[in-house]
Amino acid sequence: MARNTPTPGQKISYFLVILFGVFILYLDINTNTFNGIKNGFSSFKISSSYLLKKYSIDQITELSRLFKSKDYLSKENKMLKEQLDKSYLDNFIISREKSFFYDHSSLNKIINGNKFIESYSLAKLKSFNPNIFNCCDKHRMYIEIIQNTNKDIKEGAVFNETGIIGQVVNNKSFYEVMLLTDTKSSIPLTNSKGDFYCNASGSGASDYITCSYSQLVWLDDHELGEKFFSSGLGGIYPKGIEIGNLESIKIVDTSTTLLTIKLISNPLHSNLFGVIKL
Amino acid sequence: MMYSLLKKLFLIIFICYVEYILAPGLIKLNIVLPLTFLAYSFYMYRSKNNIGPVEAFCTGLFIDLISNTFFGHNAVLFCFASYLINTYANAFKLFSYLQVCIFFGVSASAYVGFTQIIINLYNFSYLTLFVSTLFNILLCISIAILSVYFPSLTNRKI
Repeated sequence: MARNTPTPGQKISYFLVILFGVFILYLDINTNTFNGIKNGFSSFKISSSYLLKKYSIDQITELSRLFKSKDYLSKENKMLKEQLDKSYLDNFIISREKSFFYDHSSLNKIINGNKFIESYSLAKLKSFNPNIFNCCDKHRMYIEIIQNTNKDIKEGAVFNETGIIGQVVNNKSFYEVMLLTDTKSSIPLTNSKGDFYCNASGSGASDYITCSYSQLVWLDDHELGEKFFSSGLGGIYPKGIEIGNLESIKIVDTSTTLLTIKLISNPLHSNLFGVIKL
Repeated sequence: MMYSLLKKLFLIIFICYVEYILAPGLIKLNIVLPLTFLAYSFYMYRSKNNIGPVEAFCTGLFIDLISNTFFGHNAVLFCFASYLINTYANAFKLFSYLQVCIFFGVSASAYVGFTQIIINLYNFSYLTLFVSTLFNILLCISIAILSVYFPSLTNRKI
């Protein structure tokens, strides 16, 4: 559709408007008549941009800073937790130095040389299914070594701050740990008097191991709540570490008695473990 | 009506801002790109109805205000551009794209020339004027080519 060209009347209006514009231009160039309007607009522009920035960009920046700060605190918290867990492991070894080290001077060497890290390998939990742990016979978990003593740790004893939890049985991709409660696990135990020895097997139930012995060989009676320690036989677990308390005694037949021992260690207690090979 | 006006104002502010961002880089190459003027000229050219002198004047005055130049500078030039485009609106239909591009390029360089006279008289540069003319014509041709190959870009209703 064709557009109308300006009529003479419109041309006059164009002329007048342009004339008015030129007048304004002349006025603005030669006088300060419009400075008030310009300054007012500039101040409006500055204040509105300030307000916009304050209530939009600054808020987002602040939010982002807050998230970063929280993230940083969370990382720091995690790092501190790891350090704390590690110190618990160190304390665990120091408090049982006679059990862990046959050569007692080695602990002094470690303390003096500030070489706790070199006394055992530090491992982190990689995979563990607590549901399987609470229901089934096969109690395994996988750990990853984060600080190594450069020793072969296969068949090394794995412990956390609560006590010994199992042994390394496989090192294909990650280290597989067979927990004491696994039905295939076996740990030599002794009582506090040292007049009774037996091999305790995993019960398949979390927190419990069982020890079966012949009454014909071991005549002494046991009391509920009696403490059991690792005997150190077999060379895998250190000697004299408290393993658990006697929970129940069951006479299976005339010659066989089954002791159920409740473990004091808990593999779910922390994600950091120590692995030591004697 | 109100929505359309707000949209136009917003577009003007946006284009003015883009021009403000581009200007320092282009001036080093002796180029002045009057993007707001070109955009408004294009709007007047594409518009189905004539843009009256008052509307063009007010728009120019608003651009003077937001771009912090002398009042009346853009107002007069926009008004003049509106007069030219309205006068030759039907004649443009007979022109080729190239001719229309040259018209817009030359009108942009006229804008640059007047602007230089008004706000930069003591440093008036023919080199800047000449380079700007070439650049503006080439830019208009590029936009025309784009509109031929990508019609959806220029067929949008403002």
